[in-house]
Amino acid sequence: MPDERSYRVALVADRYVNPGPGQFDGLAVLAAAGWGAMQLPDDAYPAEVAGPLLAEVAEQAEEFSRRGYTLVLLGERDGLAEALARAGVAVPGRIAPASAAELSEFLARQPAPTAATAARE
Amino acid sequence: MGVAFVAHCLLNQNSKVLDGAHCAGVYSPVIDVLRDRGWRIEQMPCPELAFAGLNRFWAVREQYDTAAFRRHCQRLATAVAGAIAARVQQGEEIVLVGVEGSPSMGVTITSSDPERGGRPAWPDGSPELTGGEGIFVEELHAELARRGIAFRAAGETHAIPGHDEAAQRARLESALEGRDA
Repeated sequence: MPDERSYRVALVADRYVNPGPGQFDGLAVLAAAGWGAMQLPDDAYPAEVAGPLLAEVAEQAEEFSRRGYTLVLLGERDGLAEALARAGVAVPGRIAPASAAELSEFLARQPAPTAATAARE
Repeated sequence: MGVAFVAHCLLNQNSKVLDGAHCAGVYSPVIDVLRDRGWRIEQMPCPELAFAGLNRFWAVREQYDTAAFRRHCQRLATAVAGAIAARVQQGEEIVLVGVEGSPSMGVTITSSDPERGGRPAWPDGSPELTGGEGIFVEELHAELARRGIAFRAAGETHAIPGHDEAAQRARLESALEGRDA
């Protein structure tokens, strides 16, 4: 069976994965658009819980970035920029969408991942 | 309802070993069940991704069962257990959702071949599946036991011969409801 990965990964604030009342479901938009998600720690976690989780997110983002996968950031998370910097990764293109349509349009504008091009050759 | 700590690849199939991604990104059959039941979703790190990279070879449990990989998994398990402990303190129920057949994320089925090594060539369908937990799940289990935290677990079964999405859903629902499958 062929590998169906998209080579597209979004770092995603928790509120788009676990939307509250009146918030839209960002994970559903990512699923429909064929993007993978790397969830950021819930803002409610204290620094001693969130810090180690952010460090792991950053290390994994570094691997995706180095291999030519497209990365974006949905929302924000305190400590993420520092964790990414420690892993040698720039903060990817970011949006804090207010609607599913806005997120869909943002995802559609992203460049093709270089890893996908290499995989086809 | 409670919090489901899910294997990284269930939200991001891009993390899979090459030739292992079942879909473009989010593996919806599991996520939909959690959503339908009102469970909060939290993604665990992929133990293999940061350790062996995206271009890693397919591997069985014995190939990952080294002191270095154990230390890596213990570090991840400590981070995840911290989040789980915070949720438990809030009175939440916890379910782990792993990946059956995985050398690191298997819940009841992992992969085993004590002889595998060297040039990576072996026939499809090698009889590598065996009962047991993957290495990360084993380390997380130990860390949660050390903290006195109880949890239930289920596994996504896409890579298991005879995979049946309805049966997978039933097992997950049983875990969410605290019933034996």
